[in-house]
Amino acid sequence: MADATGAGRAEVSGAAGGAGGRRRTLLPRVPFNLALVLPAQLTVLSVALVPTLIVIWLALTDWQPTSGVPWWRAEFVWFWNFYDLWYDDRFIGALLRTLFVVTVCLTVELILALGLALLFLDEWPWRKVAVSIIILPMMIIPVDAANAFFMLFNERGPVNHIISLVLRRDYNFSWLSDPRWALLPIMLAEIWQWTPLMFLLVLTGLMNLPQNQVRAAMVLGASPARIFLKIMLPLLTPVILVALIVRGVETFKIFDPVYILTRGGPGAATETLSMFMYNGAFVYFRMGYVAAAALLVLVVVLTACVGLLHRLERHA
Amino acid sequence: MKSRDRAGSRSRRSFLELTTATAAALGLGPIFLADVRRAIAAGEADAIHTVAAAKAKELAGGRPITLTVMQPSGSLGNVKPVAERFTAEAGIDFNYLEVPLGEINQKVLLEAVSRSGSFDLALPATFGIPDLAESGILVNLDPLAGKYEPADYNKDMLFSAGNYYKGSLYGYGTDGDAYLMFYLKDWLDDHDEKKRFGDKHGYELKVPDTWEQLDAMMAHFHQPDKGRYGGALFRTQYFIAWEWWVRFHAKGYFPFTDDMEPQINNEAGVEALAQLVAASKYLYPGARSNGLFENFEAYGEGDKFCNIGWGGTQKYLNSEKSKVRGRLAFGPTPGGMIGGKLLRTPYFNWGWNYVVSSASANQEIAYLFSLYACSPAMSTIAVRDPGGYFDPFRSNHYSDPQITEVYTKEFLVAHEDSMRNAIPDLYLKGQGEYFDQLRVNIAAADVGEKTPKQALDETAAAWNRITRRMGKRSQVVQWTFLKSIYPEGVRGVLKA
Repeated sequence: MADATGAGRAEVSGAAGGAGGRRRTLLPRVPFNLALVLPAQLTVLSVALVPTLIVIWLALTDWQPTSGVPWWRAEFVWFWNFYDLWYDDRFIGALLRTLFVVTVCLTVELILALGLALLFLDEWPWRKVAVSIIILPMMIIPVDAANAFFMLFNERGPVNHIISLVLRRDYNFSWLSDPRWALLPIMLAEIWQWTPLMFLLVLTGLMNLPQNQVRAAMVLGASPARIFLKIMLPLLTPVILVALIVRGVETFKIFDPVYILTRGGPGAATETLSMFMYNGAFVYFRMGYVAAAALLVLVVVLTACVGLLHRLERHA
Repeated sequence: MKSRDRAGSRSRRSFLELTTATAAALGLGPIFLADVRRAIAAGEADAIHTVAAAKAKELAGGRPITLTVMQPSGSLGNVKPVAERFTAEAGIDFNYLEVPLGEINQKVLLEAVSRSGSFDLALPATFGIPDLAESGILVNLDPLAGKYEPADYNKDMLFSAGNYYKGSLYGYGTDGDAYLMFYLKDWLDDHDEKKRFGDKHGYELKVPDTWEQLDAMMAHFHQPDKGRYGGALFRTQYFIAWEWWVRFHAKGYFPFTDDMEPQINNEAGVEALAQLVAASKYLYPGARSNGLFENFEAYGEGDKFCNIGWGGTQKYLNSEKSKVRGRLAFGPTPGGMIGGKLLRTPYFNWGWNYVVSSASANQEIAYLFSLYACSPAMSTIAVRDPGGYFDPFRSNHYSDPQITEVYTKEFLVAHEDSMRNAIPDLYLKGQGEYFDQLRVNIAAADVGEKTPKQALDETAAAWNRITRRMGKRSQVVQWTFLKSIYPEGVRGVLKA
């Protein structure tokens, strides 16, 4: 088929441009189906590959825009950026902090999403309205959501005001500038905004579970908790894994709430990887160093995702 | 600097005459000649901007030219009235590209990478000039200044150290951002308080001379249970290092030795940081999280003894929104006693500079607008805006009635004094990185995550790494230049 169509195309191009019976081809002899997809493939490849190659190149150089030389003529430093990162306490701190944020946020979001999804599994009055209200936070622009939490946790914000009412004394705790507590408002903002997405994914999964096994278990007198743990949860695992991958990758890149609430401070107490890279790129202008950090992060995220996808495949 | 010296050998009148003669020799139209003659007739001081506009008009040659100005959001009130006059005089139009206050230097630097020609002029923060100059995005203005800048153009500019990098001109400063102090006058003048304070400390309660005195006064007034606080000094990460910088200089040291070894972690540096941390106890509850404008509003409530800030702070505090309007006393940032003598080190730590993009197609006209906008007459118009950022920076600004109304006479006295004696910021390549390391560590010390010694040792180690990466030899050259532009009275006292 490919030969036939390929020859046909060659004849057409030959007829169009040929003279004196000699066949000439303007395009190389490629199979017709390949010729059709090649432009799109090349475009996609260049869009994905070129920036990646630039990042890899930058990671191996010491390029700064302030050096006055273009990036393609930057000094090649081999793997020194990676070596420096390994000994950079701020980078290691940001990496561990980000992993902590991802773990806490995903766990809380999953538990909340499961609980809410179970509540919304059955039909009840105003259910659709309630679903719309629950998914509202994820439609808010992240910067606005973060700003709302900045106001909430300000010294004179509603959170301290409520605590003051409960304690019956003036309470002015500085949530955003205490290194022990400053991550809490950031994580709360993230959880508040993105639990709805997890909820939607889990709810969709629950609604599409095969009902035969559930009904059989009910007929045999299994308790709701047992049905959930032994039947629904295992069946739901692929959906949960997908939800964890989607949210995990997003949470790993957490930036807006950190930038708005604390800018990574006090000190570097709330500096996540994105904030570290923002500072590296736009305060220090160390593009090579930040590119190396970005590559390392890519490896970490990719490894985690491949692990989860592998589990997903096993389930399938 | 050579071109500046050459410029220095000419008088302003000869410059004007030369311009007129050149125009005549080139056979330019009677419009230009008339403009220049009128400018000369109007008096020399006012003529600078007229000549600059006329020259820009000549260069445009009737072509429709639009200059794009990238500026920090909130400064339109300063830029637009002047630009509109330039449009009327030179026929050059303007586009205004506003970017967030804290991001303008990054946006300008990105232009060095993209070279998209998206702006002709920009108003980056003065402390970023070295990095921008090194990136190649700024036009070295020496040749243009040699051609157009009148000899005494900078004579009545109170602070121009930030305009230069490694001896070359890269932009004209258009904002007098010296750091200074605000105090509640009624609290300082209160008889009972004066007596109580005098009895306890053995010296008078008045505008303090030293940081130790200020800290004692903040402690004296800090009574949160009565709704009174010692101060509203900044403790947020972005601002905290500036106060330490003044405290450290007031102890008699340069931040680096002559060969760029950091000495911030010496005994004086650690003591200055310990004092800053101790003073945090006497600040209002929002000091660690409130940014610039929240700080203005918080101090404007009238329940805090002192604040630190700039002319912009006073613009807010002297507005109808503030409860402290008419209740304030002003002073330079406190100093320290060195060898029995008071050393004051007021600090020029922000400011905005007109710079010209090397990717601009109209560099010469853009330069002429900078010259025009920073001229005595035009800069007076810019500084008058009560909502903008530009503060007085030329001597003539201090006698303008409208500017006096915006700032008050008492404030302008303190401001002029601080501007005349201000130490420069760390105008080195990598300024952002040096300062961010300092900020992060000082903020960590302030919240008890690190000891002052540990915070400054770590900063010094990071500074050494930065210096090595930037190129020590090149940094030493600029540091030597930078030290030479410290005010003479301060330079002689500070130890390197």
